[in-house]
Amino acid sequence: MDLSSFRLLFLLSLLVTHLSFSHVLADSHFEGFDAEEDDPVEDDILHHHSIPSPPVTQSNSQPLSDLETKSHPDPNPVPTSDSPSQSDLQKPSTTSFDYWDEDEFEGLPIEQPPPEPPKVTETATPDDPESETTSKPQNATVPKKSFTVEIACGSFLIVFIVNYFTGKRENENLALAWAAKFATKGSIFEKNFSLLGVGEGEDSPLLLKEGQTVFKFYASGRRYCQGLLATMELKSRHDLISRLFNLVVPCKDEITFEVYMNDEAMDQVVFAVAKKKAAKGMQKEVRDLQRFAGLMPTPSGRKWVVDELSVISESKEVAGDLITETVLEQVFGDKAFEKYGKNFISMHFSDQHPGLLRKMLLFKFALPDANHMADITRLVALVPYYIDLIGRYKLSSQARSKTEAARVKAAQEAYKELQNARQEALQRKKAEKKKMLEEAEAKLSAEAARKREAKDRARQMKKAMPRMKMTRAH
Amino acid sequence: MSSHNNNSTSANDPRQPSAAKPYVAQPVSPQDLPVDYSGFIAVIFGIAGVMFRYKLSSWLAIIFCAQSLANMKNVENDLKQISMAMMLVLFLFRCFNQTGPAEVPVWRRALDWLTREPV
Repeated sequence: MDLSSFRLLFLLSLLVTHLSFSHVLADSHFEGFDAEEDDPVEDDILHHHSIPSPPVTQSNSQPLSDLETKSHPDPNPVPTSDSPSQSDLQKPSTTSFDYWDEDEFEGLPIEQPPPEPPKVTETATPDDPESETTSKPQNATVPKKSFTVEIACGSFLIVFIVNYFTGKRENENLALAWAAKFATKGSIFEKNFSLLGVGEGEDSPLLLKEGQTVFKFYASGRRYCQGLLATMELKSRHDLISRLFNLVVPCKDEITFEVYMNDEAMDQVVFAVAKKKAAKGMQKEVRDLQRFAGLMPTPSGRKWVVDELSVISESKEVAGDLITETVLEQVFGDKAFEKYGKNFISMHFSDQHPGLLRKMLLFKFALPDANHMADITRLVALVPYYIDLIGRYKLSSQARSKTEAARVKAAQEAYKELQNARQEALQRKKAEKKKMLEEAEAKLSAEAARKREAKDRARQMKKAMPRMKMTRAH
Repeated sequence: MSSHNNNSTSANDPRQPSAAKPYVAQPVSPQDLPVDYSGFIAVIFGIAGVMFRYKLSSWLAIIFCAQSLANMKNVENDLKQISMAMMLVLFLFRCFNQTGPAEVPVWRRALDWLTREPV
């Protein structure tokens, strides 16, 4: 955090140096432009700068002598050795002189002005060695250099930096508001988990910050599960460009709970609830849902979730058992959902998650703003409720045989796929080996040819050598 | 909220301190990190700014550079990005600090910049 702020400060300082430089540069282009300041050092620089620019095609010596003679009448002469910065600032003017390629204009009559004299020369061409005052009105006619780009971009950058700090604070406040509501003493997570926070010990930090938008909360020490990881993904409030982009494409602050279940505590369950549109997408895209589960039609003759939601489940039995009366009454029922469920996005339980921990419960909710954190209390309460429900849940033998068969089939397919992949890899390896061998052979043959050639040459040399010697001996 | 818990867990405390495992951060391979688009855009604008001596482009490069810095996530990336950003910004400033007629081609300018004595 500190490091990044330091960086931004550094960037800002660079910008400031740039601006100050460009200020001086601008002055050097339009000498005498801001006559009110009448800074002696600057005047001197400007004076010097204006001299070498005249389009002299012959040699360096003349402008240099010019420079000396002209620097004398300067009203406030400052010795060149006075300030180190001065020599720095003069540098550009000399380089500009260096660009003048004398060879390009060889043979031209001396009186003829160069085809395209640089702007600076306009101000310097009149022979007015005695006064700067005469050059001032002429300067006024030079077209002004516009600073719109600098002003616009500079102010944007400043707003960006200010927004970085305010946005960062906003995100932190939101995450802290969540932690204060759900993870402090006497709160729901404290009652359910014995270890809270990402560190060890009593006063370990509750939240882990990753970047400026991701906050993580970890809890562990509960029956049926190994641990719970809540990840808050907040809007990029610290980033002005993303913020502007989000005005066009709105997005939400989200919190995802991942509950890692104990292996023995979770039966073969694949189940998900989501908003209708999202559910269709999930069913198609999420691998385990796609393989094992299907969209559940609303059963007749019993209370069910609101129309906005869809249930994806491996079997009717699982869906019926996991959508309990309590849940309907508290969150997913017609009445309750309107009031408490508006921040619900999805939940997804599966014993077939890809990755190391296969048995996992996933809950995804939208985060309300910091002052309305209580809106999601009932949703958060779903987490421990479902941990217990799933932890105790056992499939009936009939359903279990079905799910077992599906898993065996899936495992077989996976095994086949693995086998295929392995075989492919083997074949590829073989082909590569063959290719390498061929290449090596080709190389060998080439080498042999080279050797033969070398031998031939040596033999010829040998043939030639004695003759040489003989001639020398004569 | 507590009504949920009361249904299933009122009898006993669900907490099991003995089963608590400390948090272990999952290692993330560098390939899995999100692409730093803003850094990429910054480089493109920067190069365009240098090649065509187009000031706005260089300013945009600086702005995107700032965005890239603002969105940094971990330390290893930090070093890479900060060095890249610094080089870019310094180079741009050096280029802007050069005066002279606009007709002088970029390569000549670069040559001059490379061969000049250190200030």
